Amino acid sequence: MAWKEVRSALPPGNYYYSGNEAAAEGAIAAGCRYYGGYPITPSSEIMEWIAVRFREVGGVFIQMEDEIASLSSVIGASWAGAKAMTATSGPGFSLMQEGIGYAAMTETPIVIVDIQRAGPATGQATRVGGGDIMQAKWGSQGDYPVIAISPWSVQEMYDQTINAFNLAERYRVPVILLAEQAVGHLRERMDVREKIAIFNRRKEKGAAPFGGGDDGVPPMPAFGEGEKLLVTGSSHDDYGLRKVADPLVQARLTARLHNKIVNNREEIIEYEDYYAEDADVIVIAYGFTARSSLFAVERLRREGKKVGMIKLKTIWPFADTLTRDVGSRAKKIFVPEMNRGQIAGEIMKYTCCDIIPYNQTDGEIIHPTTIMGELRRLL
Amino acid sequence: MGEIKQIRLCGLGGQGIVLGGTILGHAGINDGKWVAGSSSYGAEARGSACRSEVIISDEPIIFPHVTRPDILIAMSQEAYDKYIKDMGRDEETVIYDEQMVCTKEISGLRQLGFPAGNVATKELENKLVANVVILGIVAEVTRIVSQDALLSAIEKNVPERFKALNLRAAELGLALGRAKK
Repeated sequence: MAWKEVRSALPPGNYYYSGNEAAAEGAIAAGCRYYGGYPITPSSEIMEWIAVRFREVGGVFIQMEDEIASLSSVIGASWAGAKAMTATSGPGFSLMQEGIGYAAMTETPIVIVDIQRAGPATGQATRVGGGDIMQAKWGSQGDYPVIAISPWSVQEMYDQTINAFNLAERYRVPVILLAEQAVGHLRERMDVREKIAIFNRRKEKGAAPFGGGDDGVPPMPAFGEGEKLLVTGSSHDDYGLRKVADPLVQARLTARLHNKIVNNREEIIEYEDYYAEDADVIVIAYGFTARSSLFAVERLRREGKKVGMIKLKTIWPFADTLTRDVGSRAKKIFVPEMNRGQIAGEIMKYTCCDIIPYNQTDGEIIHPTTIMGELRRLL
Repeated sequence: MGEIKQIRLCGLGGQGIVLGGTILGHAGINDGKWVAGSSSYGAEARGSACRSEVIISDEPIIFPHVTRPDILIAMSQEAYDKYIKDMGRDEETVIYDEQMVCTKEISGLRQLGFPAGNVATKELENKLVANVVILGIVAEVTRIVSQDALLSAIEKNVPERFKALNLRAAELGLALGRAKK
């Protein structure tokens, strides 16, 4: 397999980093050596950190003219053989949607960090939001797979950026780190271990670069390695030849793109369970809101209330089996979100359990006292 | 349960409130603690209300924002007036710059004024390091971070050419704190 252990780029120890700095360091640790980006609040520190650190570790950093070009350059760098990323926020993420669809269709491993701010449109640049959940999955045309991860701490910004690169390389898919301003700008202790596990894209001489193996993920050559290589966003056969009217090719390609993620979802999906086993009311939360929720849940547990929490670490592919299971055990599921109910709606697809959404879109984080108050009414 | 201390620094943009919080948090890391820090400020670079918060804990921190400060550090009147209402329990401390803030009498609350800005201007000929003078005072009076941890955090967070100045500012703060005890 293409897993290997490498030494961390940073000396092991405890650091006091912001979430954005941690994402940049996680990328470097994972082997990212190309960054193309355009600055936007509240994500810019990722780019600033990368620009300085790439001079030390030998990476290529380019500030592009906009976010469309940024992502295009990242896709190009990936096909040149580099691990590549960009970071942005809402308005820039919208401009990147075309590129995300192209990366999904061409099976290009890339990582995009979206530090969500209050929207829609330019919204409130310095304030927090969580409204890009569905956009991450459905933002480009034509039904394609992505992986999206929601970190809740500075430590996870580091660990999950490494994970994002590993998933991108493993499944040849765009991976989106769906963080929020409150985590990007949070400063916390971050522990760096000496060794980290890294997955590098599989290569196989002469193999069809769009053929798929047992797991549906084909090996990926780079330009310049002597392979006959065609890359196109139009529908194509196993060797990348355009087939824009062949129903069989189209059906096989779209099914494989979908299945390589869906069929491997148990391997991809991560979550954490807090006191959920015997709980009557279960909170399903993610990102910063999961921290407010856990604080509230622990307070209520101390009062003997039967409340628990599931923290979703992976947003896409969605944890359907887990949701079914939680829904069959809980009397009620409480879903606090910094949007108008995007994950609450997704949960409703998989369970008939009573779902109570709590939606706060005022540019502020949801405070534990708010969640405690709402939970008390349900218990 | 281990100890958790919540600290709020407040003042005006340009006074180094955010850097002060970063240095204090870094000092907590140097002491081997768990730390979480956040800040809020207006879009203006200078002159708007500014707040920085740090939690220093013996255990991992679940909710990383300050819920109830144990220590309030106030460097402007506006900031003091805004945040003093969250204070008032025993064991809580307010540390303020006495040239910038007129305090309200609150029974049971320890409020300690220091000439931080004045010392920075007179002894170091640089008003901008008043924030670091205050950090020295806070370390000495409250012991939330050790002296060595603070000095090492300053070295890691200020540019090379300002290191000596800032270390001197911290030493002056530590001396001011000792004198008051």
